[in-house]
Amino acid sequence: MSDDLDLTEYLSHGGKLSSPDNAPPRYRGELMRLMATFVDSELAGAAGFADVINAGPGIKERIAASRIVFEKLVNADRVLKIMGDFGADTGRYVNHHPWAARLPRDADIGASRHGGDMRLSVFHYPIDGWTDAVVMNVLMGRATAIQLDEFAHGSYQPLAEAFRAILPTEVRHAELGLEGLRMLVLTAEDRAAARASAAYWRPRVAASFGSAGSARYDTLRRFGLRRTPNDVLAERWRGEIAELLDELGIAPETGTEEGSRA
Amino acid sequence: MAHFYPLSVTEVRHDTRDSVVVTFEPRPEDRERFGYVQGQYLTFRRAFDGEELRRSYSICAGRAENRLRVGIRKVEGGCFSGWANEELKVGDVLEAMPPTGNFHTPIEADRARRYLGFAGGSGITPLLGIVRTVLAEEPRSSFTLVYGNRSINTIMFREELEDLKNQHLGRLSILHVLESEDPDGGLFSGRLDRDKCRALFGRWIDVAHADLAFICGPEPMMLAVAETLKEHGLDDRQIKFELFASGQPGRARRAAAAAKPAATDQTCTATIVLDGTAVTLTMPKGGQTVLEAAKAANIDAPYACTAGVCSTCRAMVVEGEVEMEANYALEDYEVRRGYVLTCQSRPVSDKVVIDYDR
Repeated sequence: MSDDLDLTEYLSHGGKLSSPDNAPPRYRGELMRLMATFVDSELAGAAGFADVINAGPGIKERIAASRIVFEKLVNADRVLKIMGDFGADTGRYVNHHPWAARLPRDADIGASRHGGDMRLSVFHYPIDGWTDAVVMNVLMGRATAIQLDEFAHGSYQPLAEAFRAILPTEVRHAELGLEGLRMLVLTAEDRAAARASAAYWRPRVAASFGSAGSARYDTLRRFGLRRTPNDVLAERWRGEIAELLDELGIAPETGTEEGSRA
Repeated sequence: MAHFYPLSVTEVRHDTRDSVVVTFEPRPEDRERFGYVQGQYLTFRRAFDGEELRRSYSICAGRAENRLRVGIRKVEGGCFSGWANEELKVGDVLEAMPPTGNFHTPIEADRARRYLGFAGGSGITPLLGIVRTVLAEEPRSSFTLVYGNRSINTIMFREELEDLKNQHLGRLSILHVLESEDPDGGLFSGRLDRDKCRALFGRWIDVAHADLAFICGPEPMMLAVAETLKEHGLDDRQIKFELFASGQPGRARRAAAAAKPAATDQTCTATIVLDGTAVTLTMPKGGQTVLEAAKAANIDAPYACTAGVCSTCRAMVVEGEVEMEANYALEDYEVRRGYVLTCQSRPVSDKVVIDYDR
């Protein structure tokens, strides 16, 4: 036990680990959980997005959507390999859950986990057509970029390196989404549809940052796996998104956004 | 799942009073499997008094040498390291997993990079492999190695480092920092702490122009070095850490006590330990899993797949007996030590104690 305590101190002061052999049990559990959250979200995100490839209005859009699906799977594989170093059966892992499964559009699960996987709650909601997919991709893409940037400083060096390599691809996905979205807000009617989607997804993506003052954040911070509180990251995202939606002319009209999760 | 292969000992050389350098040879058919990258390590297993122990030791040879050579320093009370230092001999066969580890960066032959290395005690072993590889394969790069030890007698690979330095004059510089030699000896005596690093970085080492830094040693030393490197302009991406030895207990741990035969009672008193807090609850036998019971009691136990695949929910059965339905993630030796996947485990005995902290 004293080994663990010393190591926790080391980790909370910026020390890094580079192999499973040195990971204390509780650290291992939290690290695995963090990796599973990423892998499951990528697998579920890719599965959900795969369904809308054919809804793309033109070949360019379909190429962009396929690329996003492809790269999310590559990114999932990358982190899953690290879980494999800790003993996870990577072959079975990919098939242990129906990643395309979704809840009804009007379900309300807040930030809670659901079913047998660790995907972020936002990936339990179904996408409703092309515009909706693009809006979701932009909002969640920006959130992912902010969250990955946080994890890229984590204390498990192989994972931090994987996230640093993954980050630019996820940033690019959000950019591809934004390019697509600009083409979808040219008329008042289109803007209304995009605005409705943004109003639907915004609180759900916001919930993926977790709650302010979360006990898990404190644990992860102690282990050097986090350093910026949930609410600070969420606020950063809200600022970016507010500006973006405003620029696109699809900011929510006051009082129209549903729910108060954010 | 990890596989072990036999390696035979081809050379045992006593390096210092308490360390030994051992060279291994794989079977011809395993040779490819045992290819390695500089800075990686081998994990050995051996039974001591019926208890399997696993220990990892860094490969201290360069990549192109293709020699499985490790340095083993005797740890106080250490079963494996003591045995390796005193009894291991040429011709013995040990079981090892193929090389693994992430303490390396890709070699880029045409680049001229400046490397810094910081080793404390036996932390020199992976660094020696890295130094050798860089010198051999990146001919325009240079390496500065800072090596901390208790005293001159405990310096591992002392002569070998000296030879390397002479062989690569101008490309390899080595600064020894010794704890017990001449306490007032100035810059090169004492511990590798923050003050020592600041003093060295001010005068002797140009951190601002360094490309990469590798650190391997005890935790306080690694923190001190990393922090001071960052003060001098390096960032996380440029600093590679390898923590060794301290995470490994010196003696074999005892396996969970044998369970008493199950009684007829249909409920079980389960004590679940997480983050040093024990919660006792009553749960039906053969019904909920340990993880489900923990979650129902608002215990924030780690888990992910709940399918016996990922091993996030691993915990140790300290007392009593559980039945594990599926296990695709834990290895036999972990199960023998008492580890279970709590998402797949249901109590069989009247009382169980499950510890997530172990």
